Amino acid sequence: MPDYKAPIRDIKFVMNELLDMPAHYQTLPSAEMTTPDMVDAIIQEGSKFCEQVLSPLNAVGDTEGCTWSETGVTTPKGFKEAYKQYVDGGWPSMTAPEAVGGQGLPESLGLVMSEMVGTSNWAWGMYPGLSHGAVNTMILHGSDEQKETYLPKLVSGEWTGTMCLTEPHCGSDLGTLRTKAEPNADGSYSISGTKIFISSGEHDMADNIIHITLARLPNAPSGTKGISLFIVPKVLVNADGSLGERNTVTCGSIEHKMGIHGNSTCVMNFDGAKGYLIGPENKGLNCMFTFMNFARLGTAIQGLGASELSFQGALKYAKERLAMRSLTGPKNPGGIADPIIVHPDVRRMLLTQKAFAEGSRAMIYFTAQQGDIVHEGETEEARKEADEMMAFLTPIAKAFLTEVGYESANLGVQVYGGHGFIAEWGMEQIVRDTRIALLYEGTTGIQALDLLGRKILMTQGEALKRFTKLVHKFCTQEADNQAAQEFVAPLAKLNKEWGELTMKIGMVAMKDREEVGSAAVDYLMYSGYATLAYFWARMAVIAQQKLAAGTDEEAFYTAKLQTARFYFKRILPRTLAHAASAVGGASTLMQMDVESFAF
Amino acid sequence: MADYKAPLRDMRFLLNEVFEVAKQWETMPRLSETADPETADAILEEAAKISQSLLAPLNRSGDEEGCRWENGQVFTPAGFPQAYRTFIEGGWCGLGGNPEFGGMGMPKTIGAQVEEMIQSANISFGLYPMLTAGACLALDAHGADELREKYLPNMYSGIWSGSMCLTEPHSGTDLGIIRTKAEPQADGSYAVSGTKIFITGGEHDLSDNIIHLVLAKLPDAPAGPKGISLFLVPKFLVNEDGSLGARNTLGCGSIEHKMGIKASATCVMNFDGAKGWLVGELNKGLACMFTMMNYERLGVGVQGLAAAERSYQNAVEYARDRIQGRAATGPVAKDKAADPIIVHPDVRRMLMTIRAMNEGSRAFSTYVASFLDMAKYADDSATRVNAEALVALLTPVAKAFLTDRGFDSTVFGQQVFGGHGYIREWGQEQLVRDVRIAQIYEGTNGIQALDLMGRKVAANNGKFYELFANEVAAFIEANRENPALAEFIAPLSAAIERLSDVTEHVLNQVKSDPNAVGAASVDYLDLFGYTSFAYMWARMVLVAKSKVEGDTSGFYDSKIKTARFFFSRLLPKTMALAESVKSGAADTMALAAENF
Repeated sequence: MPDYKAPIRDIKFVMNELLDMPAHYQTLPSAEMTTPDMVDAIIQEGSKFCEQVLSPLNAVGDTEGCTWSETGVTTPKGFKEAYKQYVDGGWPSMTAPEAVGGQGLPESLGLVMSEMVGTSNWAWGMYPGLSHGAVNTMILHGSDEQKETYLPKLVSGEWTGTMCLTEPHCGSDLGTLRTKAEPNADGSYSISGTKIFISSGEHDMADNIIHITLARLPNAPSGTKGISLFIVPKVLVNADGSLGERNTVTCGSIEHKMGIHGNSTCVMNFDGAKGYLIGPENKGLNCMFTFMNFARLGTAIQGLGASELSFQGALKYAKERLAMRSLTGPKNPGGIADPIIVHPDVRRMLLTQKAFAEGSRAMIYFTAQQGDIVHEGETEEARKEADEMMAFLTPIAKAFLTEVGYESANLGVQVYGGHGFIAEWGMEQIVRDTRIALLYEGTTGIQALDLLGRKILMTQGEALKRFTKLVHKFCTQEADNQAAQEFVAPLAKLNKEWGELTMKIGMVAMKDREEVGSAAVDYLMYSGYATLAYFWARMAVIAQQKLAAGTDEEAFYTAKLQTARFYFKRILPRTLAHAASAVGGASTLMQMDVESFAF
Repeated sequence: MADYKAPLRDMRFLLNEVFEVAKQWETMPRLSETADPETADAILEEAAKISQSLLAPLNRSGDEEGCRWENGQVFTPAGFPQAYRTFIEGGWCGLGGNPEFGGMGMPKTIGAQVEEMIQSANISFGLYPMLTAGACLALDAHGADELREKYLPNMYSGIWSGSMCLTEPHSGTDLGIIRTKAEPQADGSYAVSGTKIFITGGEHDLSDNIIHLVLAKLPDAPAGPKGISLFLVPKFLVNEDGSLGARNTLGCGSIEHKMGIKASATCVMNFDGAKGWLVGELNKGLACMFTMMNYERLGVGVQGLAAAERSYQNAVEYARDRIQGRAATGPVAKDKAADPIIVHPDVRRMLMTIRAMNEGSRAFSTYVASFLDMAKYADDSATRVNAEALVALLTPVAKAFLTDRGFDSTVFGQQVFGGHGYIREWGQEQLVRDVRIAQIYEGTNGIQALDLMGRKVAANNGKFYELFANEVAAFIEANRENPALAEFIAPLSAAIERLSDVTEHVLNQVKSDPNAVGAASVDYLDLFGYTSFAYMWARMVLVAKSKVEGDTSGFYDSKIKTARFFFSRLLPKTMALAESVKSGAADTMALAAENF
């Protein structure tokens, strides 16, 4: 497994030079705590923990996996101890409000830590990661009593949380879920049913696990409008806050999966388990979706992490492995062959990974910055605008960045040749671990429907315009910047086409209800490449400015600029194919009889 | 997981209706002695049966159990040794083998279909006989008669198996730097010493003997690829009377823990002065190896197709059964809580993509196989030379494009299952893990792309390419006025023009930039692949259109609809690829190695 090294220089580039986070942080309530020095110190400390504690456990977690027994689930060796260190270090409480025992730091800063945690050891990171959703749901929808009972320990990390949505027969289509909640005399509910694919549903790292569970009340309307949300603790909590009886919710088994072996994916059986309604009756999905954008952005990080870690591993190997000679003459005349990084095709793979990793970081941090404003922006208008921007970018970040992250992970294997297929090198683990990111938290297909159907066409293109305006503004600003035209000109052209493509699909969609589903994934991928082009153009312009002004980091900015060029010339043409395919028409998909799919 | 069902209908369509291989056999006397339509069809039937009922049921268990190494011995998963015995009793190991030594002498067009079925059912299992067949090809083409007589009959029967020992810890792609030594002995044999890794089927419990073909260097051999020789090194020495003698001094040091093909033993082989015999000429080892390389590379391409076919069958079954959400145009399964997911356009997009690529792949591999047969069996040299050139040109495309798209397809097949696709028991994730290696071994797909663009296109200044482009042009010309093909001829013309244009562009760039090939090659190969598939689809449509009327099976109608999908939804990728190729090498080479 490649040793993870936090890409701090690039993190700082995106935070400080691209997004001006220092100024942004001064507009938030936590301004005092987020001075540049403090932010630096947090990132430094966090990176140490990830590099030294989590990274070494990544391969162990994969090899050993989780073990199920009647009494519970045992996580791989070292996971529990690492979690204790994480809790002792105060990391779980970073972004929770001070009122509930948190440190009140911005979500975007928490996301930087999530990137480092997730890149060094995704399977481990999912234990504290799932708590985040539970905490946020409770902050927003819980009663005061619920907040008092559960939040302090969830925030401190003494307890962890889960989100129990999926059932054996229903995943994407939650409207058909069957888990029942019967009201009890004491105001609580008895929850019965089976949930599957519950990440971190049972483990040995915390004293209690709080399951946020979707279920139906008797007589609830059918479909998505009859779903309510419940808090179901693994161990009931006494009035004084101490742990009481074991609740009747148990882990029936854990799944054997392609990857993320270090994370327990549980079948959870609720057998009349005591639960407490959170939020209004029958509004469970709404409550759940409040924080969906942030959860999905969290999954987008898995794509970024895959690109980054696989790139780090591949780069190291490409510099060390000797095979063949450079076509322009030996570069390592003393050795039996040249390092494979001299070969154009190896570079193509490395540069693709690099362009995706750094581009992903820019897109995710930008979206997270919007998230900060959504929660703590100064004006209602700013909050609303950021919310809409975030709603637009989230499905792109989640689906596109995990798709290209998976591509990067596979390229990492390819750089290693046959060794990439061998477990001990760790490169194939990244592929297996990352594969799930394209499936959970809404598959790529579901994200694409969300983007094109709900976010864009239902707003008559408003959501898209908000972003393309931003792009337009940048292109206008740089219109006279000759040096930047190699980026700005194609970006401006693409930005215009993006609107036209959307219009074209929208027109057809008015007549053909299959059109959205038919075009959605190609459209999303197109949007992803276009969005990344915007961030790469901005980064390139910054690099050009620094180089023009003179800098002692010439190598760094030159590399940035060269990577931007590679992205524009070699990756961005993919938009041509996606645009053409997106308007290829629904009939090519829908005309074949179901029976004719296989003979 | 759906029960595997061999796609015999589609295979027959290609063999009998599109490529009419039997007519080709009639023109080649050496082939027509062994191959006739009835025998060929019986072989396909039998291969389907053995794949479906014998090999497919061992696929999941083989993955779960894997191979086990114990003191130098390797044990294959439960059921494998028994299945292997049944398999060799059917004579499958010698299907394409030389009849002079007990092979069946069947053409590659049939062999490719049989390989697809075996690999669809169980890639790990299929690798054992595949390696034997490869070793036989090299031995038959280059071995002395004495060696051929001694080894080939038992290898064709499968009683003995074969392995190919090329890679060493420090040398894979770059075989010029191998270190394994071969010292000449007084009796004319050689003492072979060194370590080989990634040896598929290097040690196992399926056959009585394992015949290793080993690349090694003589003490005074020239440096680099020109100093490599090929040796036959058996696990057990073979006595004069053909019985097994002493154990040779070679052994399996360990087996690898891999992402997939866990039931195939991937061995570290240690040769410690092991007795071996030279195959072919001294220092011509690589050339000998390349004889069988085209066959093997096509075979690996077929693995990509095979895994994708299996994934498709599972995904279609799941998409028909799994109910989730309602159709955009109104409920279809009104009596159920939701509609089967095959109603959703995006699910269909994934299924249609797999299907269009699979049927294109099957056509393309059959097409390339027909040139392999011509190159081997044609009587007149002009036909042979032409076929050899096309084999040389198209084989790297078959290997790389079929495995790259095959991998993509297994990922799509997994995506159709949603979260369940990630769970082992459904079998979809195994196909992804198993087929991933096909993009790497037998020359990584990057190496295939360099071979295509550098050696097969640029080195002869586009001569081979012209043969292919002319064939496509002739097809277009012959069908330009054919109303049945109207919607396909224009995009096919555009695609081949684009490919020709890009080819010319690159030929020009190569003159001034040595990195031009390497920077463009992978995109170029993909462009080549999509364009050749467009040609395959046009040829298939031509037949389908002539038979669709009155056909109640839906087969020809589905062909036409799948072709439309390919042309409107997949072929546009050529635009992106052409653009990327033409952008040149500068941006790929600009970054200093230390600045990555």
